Amino acid sequence: MIHLAKEDIRHTLGKFIVTAMGVGMLLGIVLIMMGVYRGMIVDAEVLLNDLNVDLWIVQEGTLGPFAEASRVHDDLQYTIRSLQGIEKSGIITFQNIQLPKKKSKIRVFAVGYDVYGSISPINPARLISGRPLKTDHYEIVVTDKTGFSLHDKIQLGRNIYTVVGITHGTVSSGGDLLVYISIKDAQELQFSYSNKRIQTDRARGIVNRDTHMVNAVIATVLPGYDTETVARNIHKWQHKSVYTKDRQRAVLTKYVVEKASKQIGMFTAILVIVATIIISLIIYTMTLEKMKEISIMKLMGLPNSMIVKMIVEETLLLGILAFIFGNIFSHLIYSKFPKRVVLEIPDAWMLFGVVVVASIAASFVGVKKVINADPASAIGG
Amino acid sequence: MNKKIAIRAENLCKSFGDGDSLVEVIKNASFTINKGELIALIAPSGGGKTTLLMMIGCVEEPTSGKIRLGDETVYDDKWLTRETRKIRREKIGFIFQAHYLIPFLNIIDNLTLLPQANKIDEKTAKKKAEELLHYFGIADKAKAMPSQLSGGQNQRVAIARALVNNPQIILADEPTAALDMQRSVDVVKMLKNIAMEQEVAIVMVTHDDRMLPYCDRIMKIENKATVFER
Repeated sequence: MIHLAKEDIRHTLGKFIVTAMGVGMLLGIVLIMMGVYRGMIVDAEVLLNDLNVDLWIVQEGTLGPFAEASRVHDDLQYTIRSLQGIEKSGIITFQNIQLPKKKSKIRVFAVGYDVYGSISPINPARLISGRPLKTDHYEIVVTDKTGFSLHDKIQLGRNIYTVVGITHGTVSSGGDLLVYISIKDAQELQFSYSNKRIQTDRARGIVNRDTHMVNAVIATVLPGYDTETVARNIHKWQHKSVYTKDRQRAVLTKYVVEKASKQIGMFTAILVIVATIIISLIIYTMTLEKMKEISIMKLMGLPNSMIVKMIVEETLLLGILAFIFGNIFSHLIYSKFPKRVVLEIPDAWMLFGVVVVASIAASFVGVKKVINADPASAIGG
Repeated sequence: MNKKIAIRAENLCKSFGDGDSLVEVIKNASFTINKGELIALIAPSGGGKTTLLMMIGCVEEPTSGKIRLGDETVYDDKWLTRETRKIRREKIGFIFQAHYLIPFLNIIDNLTLLPQANKIDEKTAKKKAEELLHYFGIADKAKAMPSQLSGGQNQRVAIARALVNNPQIILADEPTAALDMQRSVDVVKMLKNIAMEQEVAIVMVTHDDRMLPYCDRIMKIENKATVFER
């Protein structure tokens, strides 16, 4: 049996492949957009997963440092540690800072932690060279994407820090590169002011600014204790907001990346619609180019089903080929993006489903043209 | 019933529009064409040749009248079948001004497309197509694409395509329009032979008076009706 779609494609193979590649690049961008969203989720959870603590104790009435400003006293960690059900506790600060590099600056997210404490935000699996912090002052661990090397010197505030460790794949929920400094350095950077500012504050009557603040106290729960119950107790007696790991993850997803995901979702939806319209226009043009042949086939008596099958098969093949090119394209370029892009197979299958449906929808314009083609137009030149 | 009749039209009428804008193109055309005849259909431009061809080819619906193809009445003031396309597929072959072969199919596929649409198995269809290509002296071009053949060769393939479904009738719309004199004569002689050998009625629209001597009869459209000059 003659396969009309196969023969037609073989006749214009180069054109068909180039067209599929063009549409494929568009679908590749759709996959990248999905990957950016997945990357945001992964990025958002890097610190949460690396810390792997059960409880986040933050300023009362706030959602915690991932979503908004939160300040608690650093000695709260001792109170928390003494509570029933708590295994260990620690303190942590977060702040965005600019790392000077050559003539420019790199925006990073600095995590301050107690170097001598029992909870470290540095995941040993992510430490690709050097070591974690060992002293309270002037050491820094940076992520590889900052471009710094071990033993590099970095001026931060009034002091010079030495790079002692390099991590890989560590970013904040906002996608900024992570660096790690000691809690004391972090407090100094966050809460200490310049001499001039201190003089001005004193003139205004502001004295004894408290620098012993942190953004959150973190804790792990002893085995056998219910995390929710411990969290409720802390909230009841310490007047602090307490989040379990799962609730903190929910905060991250709901308040930090929700709008971004909606934004990306909109872009993705628009791109899929644009891809559908483009496929429709291509099929329409391809059908128009064959109108004389279609009229002749109808005049000779070929059933519509045979011609419609050719159009639908060509559209589907164009969509599938474009999907394959889109996957190749997205896998070739995703690592070039400055932020994390996570390409997941279920997303690709979902897009495949959308492409198949969109291709069938797109073929309607061509099919309509075939059904309306006048066989009489084949006669008379 | 006369077994030799291929086409019989009775009081065939075709008009377009209505009221003041009514245009009658064919009025009370009645004629009979027998199997084995090559008929030249002539008329001035706009005289209704193509309209008449389309009506007997079951493409254009007449306004009124009766059409019989072989022993089957297909139109009697209305189509008597819903599937005029099936009638075309099984009973009629078409030849056009240009060859109009499907450009993305090779020659053998161009010939076997219609039989396969008629549910004839691929092997039988291919055998018939090869016989026709042999008959027309282009058996070696079976795997070639239409773009690789000359104009004359393509026109022979187009004629072979019109014959491949063993039609009772071939409707040819100026098949020599794009050919030089010698090739035109060759094509018309070929059609004459086919009509005789295969007992097919061929109606050929032509503007070229030089082709008329090769035809059995000349059907002219005069005052919107058909008359035979010879």
